[in-house]
Amino acid sequence: MAAVAAPVRPEALVPAGRRVWNVVRLHVANPWPSVILPWIVLVSIHALTWSIWAIISHYAGPGIEEDAFRYAGGVSWLVIYMMIIAIQAMNAGFRFALGFSSTRRDYYLGTVAFFAMMAVVYGVGLGLLALLERATDGWGMNGSFYAPAYLYDEPFAVVAFHYVALYLLFTTMGCLVGALFVRWRANGLYLYFGALALAVVALVWWLLDAGWGATVDFFTANPLAVVMAWTLPVSLAFAAVGWLVLRRAPARG
Amino acid sequence: MTAIIEAQGLSRRFGDVHAVDDVSFAVEEGSVCGLLGRNGAGKTTLMNLVTGQDFASAGTVRVLGEDPVENARALTRVCFIKESQSYPDAYRGRHVLAMAPHFFPHFDAALAERLVEDFGVPVNRMVKKMSRGQRSAIGAIVGIASRAELTLLDEPYAGLDAVARHIFYDRLLEDYAAHPRTILLSTHLIDEAADLLDHVLVIHEGRIEIDADTEELRGSASTLVGRAADVEAFVAGRDVLAREHIGGIASATVAGLGADDKARAASSGLEVTPVSLQQLIVRRTGGASHREEVA
Repeated sequence: MAAVAAPVRPEALVPAGRRVWNVVRLHVANPWPSVILPWIVLVSIHALTWSIWAIISHYAGPGIEEDAFRYAGGVSWLVIYMMIIAIQAMNAGFRFALGFSSTRRDYYLGTVAFFAMMAVVYGVGLGLLALLERATDGWGMNGSFYAPAYLYDEPFAVVAFHYVALYLLFTTMGCLVGALFVRWRANGLYLYFGALALAVVALVWWLLDAGWGATVDFFTANPLAVVMAWTLPVSLAFAAVGWLVLRRAPARG
Repeated sequence: MTAIIEAQGLSRRFGDVHAVDDVSFAVEEGSVCGLLGRNGAGKTTLMNLVTGQDFASAGTVRVLGEDPVENARALTRVCFIKESQSYPDAYRGRHVLAMAPHFFPHFDAALAERLVEDFGVPVNRMVKKMSRGQRSAIGAIVGIASRAELTLLDEPYAGLDAVARHIFYDRLLEDYAAHPRTILLSTHLIDEAADLLDHVLVIHEGRIEIDADTEELRGSASTLVGRAADVEAFVAGRDVLAREHIGGIASATVAGLGADDKARAASSGLEVTPVSLQQLIVRRTGGASHREEVA
């Protein structure tokens, strides 16, 4: 009996690399919320903070302590904002991409690649602003806005890496939360917040019981770069679980 | 002719609900196929299964001979426009149209631009602030201009007015004639779309109720109108799908009339018209036939 010819399987009309890149583009089709707006808000908060510094130092006079303006928190909102961007990307963005004939795999790879790129952009950007901050004597006020508190003495590479790692941690967490929502709707969120609450209780218990000393040791004995490097496997785990959740998620209305 | 979509025993359950229930059918390459049915009949679920957007509970579906789920070989040749399509929060109309060529390799941007003019879509408006009709128009534009080998349109003109719907039919047919493809179109507006359709799939409560060529379906029944006594005399012993009486005038829809039957009906003073697709489908999917028989 003649062998039956295997059916000729045509290639995908768009090669794999381009399909993933297209998803990256999808996230910046309107760059306003994820790329432009955060910098504008950041600069505005910086300007406000600077004004307050100026007012305080005017009235405090020359006797003001040297580290008075070293503990600004004006950058921290950024990671929460980006987490929300990631949640939205997983919800509306996911269903839009599937509606545009994307596979879940291509969508997830493209989305994670997008957030990884944005992590580098924000990390390097904030690091450069920290350099500028140092070069200008703390914006002429001895202030630390972009490298406050524990970042004050760190070199550029560590400041930038710190922001990259933090950004990855929060966006991968956002991707996971978004994926849970797309897969199981409200039940997915109950699952997430239930698990989060349990984890917090377990952590507090452990800290009170035996962990406090070890935790303090970990943060004081290790340099910042090492502490931040420990977030990378956590981010990786969030991203991996996010994929496991999303790969069977339907794209229903 | 080969089948571009093939389903075998395809099912999708949501808890106790059998949204799609053991469905088998094929859609021929190059045809325009209507997927008709009432609200909640399972049209959208079926299309979600065909495009791998949802997962079957049982059975198989093949698109271009392949399982569509997570399969770029099949999906890069498919365009599925649904009424409930969601768009990223930050998107304006033009962002949707700017992304489409990347995802649909045969997308014709010039055609899309002409369609934007035809439909009068405000492309600079945020999609989330558009009316239902404007969002539908955006979907219709992408659906037509993408020229995908297999185009699925799920209620593509929900919220569009009659004029816009006719623009849609005209442009779709025009472009289909120049660039043949396979179209699976779901709609409520059966008679309006009937002239477009080569083939009809009627889904009712998750099952395929009718799977037939449009012509064959239209020829399968005729409506006779005349004096009640004449109509009754003629239809005695025949397969009557529906009856209506208004005063002394009666109409009856009768299955399987041959040419000589029709001639005989006409000669006995009855008016013979082909049944409309809509009437036929309404009758076959639990429509008003029951009530009418009682009347």
